Amino acid sequence: MSIPARCFRQISKAKPVHPLRCSKSRSGRCLSRSYHTLYSPSPSPYNPTESAILSAALSHVPSHGFSPAALTLGARDAGYIDPSTNVLPRGVFEIVLWHLVSQRLGLGARVQFPEAKEGKGGMGTGHKVRVLVMERLRGNVEAGVVGRWQEALAIMAHPTYVPASLRELAHLADEIWYLAGDTSVDTSWYTKRASLSTIYSATELFMTQDQSTDFKDTERFLDARLEDLRVVGGAVGNLGEWLEFTGHSIINVLRSKGVRI
Amino acid sequence: MSTIMNVSKVARCAVRCHNLPVLDFLAPAFITVQSKHIPHRAIKRSCMSTSATKKSNVRESASELPLDTLQITQRNTLTEDQKRFLDSALRVNQAGELAAVLIYAAQTPPIVQSHPHLRPLMKHMYDQEAGHLQIFNELLAKHRIRPTAMYPVWKAAATVLGWSTAVMGREAAMACTEAVETEIGTHYNDQVRVLLEWVQMMEERGDPVGEDIAELVKNLRRIRDEELEHLDHAVENHAKQARPYELLTNIIRGGCRTAIWISERV
Repeated sequence: MSIPARCFRQISKAKPVHPLRCSKSRSGRCLSRSYHTLYSPSPSPYNPTESAILSAALSHVPSHGFSPAALTLGARDAGYIDPSTNVLPRGVFEIVLWHLVSQRLGLGARVQFPEAKEGKGGMGTGHKVRVLVMERLRGNVEAGVVGRWQEALAIMAHPTYVPASLRELAHLADEIWYLAGDTSVDTSWYTKRASLSTIYSATELFMTQDQSTDFKDTERFLDARLEDLRVVGGAVGNLGEWLEFTGHSIINVLRSKGVRI
Repeated sequence: MSTIMNVSKVARCAVRCHNLPVLDFLAPAFITVQSKHIPHRAIKRSCMSTSATKKSNVRESASELPLDTLQITQRNTLTEDQKRFLDSALRVNQAGELAAVLIYAAQTPPIVQSHPHLRPLMKHMYDQEAGHLQIFNELLAKHRIRPTAMYPVWKAAATVLGWSTAVMGREAAMACTEAVETEIGTHYNDQVRVLLEWVQMMEERGDPVGEDIAELVKNLRRIRDEELEHLDHAVENHAKQARPYELLTNIIRGGCRTAIWISERV
């Protein structure tokens, strides 16, 4: 009884969320996704000022790196004075996060899978995941940040920013599985996201070192990791199935012998 | 708005206090809110429906709010708090139905062995629970809600609970069903109550009620009624004669409440 009552109290107090306030708690609720529904989409986590500064700043990253200089230049481009970068208390990490969030939110629009035709299944989920991961990695190339990505990784590894970075990685993995059409809602929900997060971050790191044309090596690396996952996942699944089958058989044999279990 | 809340709270409390031993969760909140439209008898009738043969009354009381008269459109506006509530509510429901399916699955072989005439009943209850689980699985996938992290724990716990009560005998198994369905029925009823209050608030504000919310209320009501039907079946099959009845049901109900509390959070 206590749960809905408490909840109701919260709801009755709920005030409309101001966009600015929303953006301040960016690492908190506004980005955490709950009860996704197409009919009431979540508002953008950034307000127009922040969007203008950050997108302009990102365009300076290829030449100036993930640095305060890029942020200041971005503010100037957007028509604000230099100290206006103070609206972004986390400094350069905001540019990194802006890139991650905008790439994640844009991923759905960039990839269109053909509908499954009658009698012929569409693309498999595993294949879709591969396509989505590659598309997301190409986003780094298109934004021109691949050459500077090790700087971004260094910033994200800063202890203060690790939680926000990991949360963003988890959201990306969730987005990819969702877009790939995965509907599992059991323990595999967690294992899938965890393994994809690992694979994605490994591939992204590999990509910063990749010298091959059109990132062929990265693609190969990704395929190898996904294949590993398939083999290991298959083995674990088979083992589980065997254990379950054996357990059921033993119980049924005992029951047939008249043991009262 | 707060006056309505207070009135409904007081009215609900009044109903509860006067009928202490009766399982008042069968009286949905809208009855107390709109009590001038519905005769008091309706509340009493639905309160007593645990006494086996009254399940038609439960149905009746549940169908009294005219859902199809609501204005249903494509858009709805849920606040962040409401979304968070739905997030945890649907997660708990999925965990609960998973547990229910496993409890019945584990109970069926020992029970059917000792009481073959219960086979159709067990199958009927199992099939309904499997249908509920299917519904919540789909809702979780559709609304991108994370399943509970305790998934494997609940699986093991539910199987052990079902199997051990079934080995203790038919009465104990039915007492287990009764305890579980009482908690679950209360839980669903609370959810329906909250959702109907939202619907009322939306209508007062003049906002259209979302299609998914209307659908959810409809499903929750149907599922709640089916759970209460299982409760009636359990009572019909001498759940009250289990020994030790009080101890067994209290332990199971406490366990259910704890599991609900945990599943809402992780």
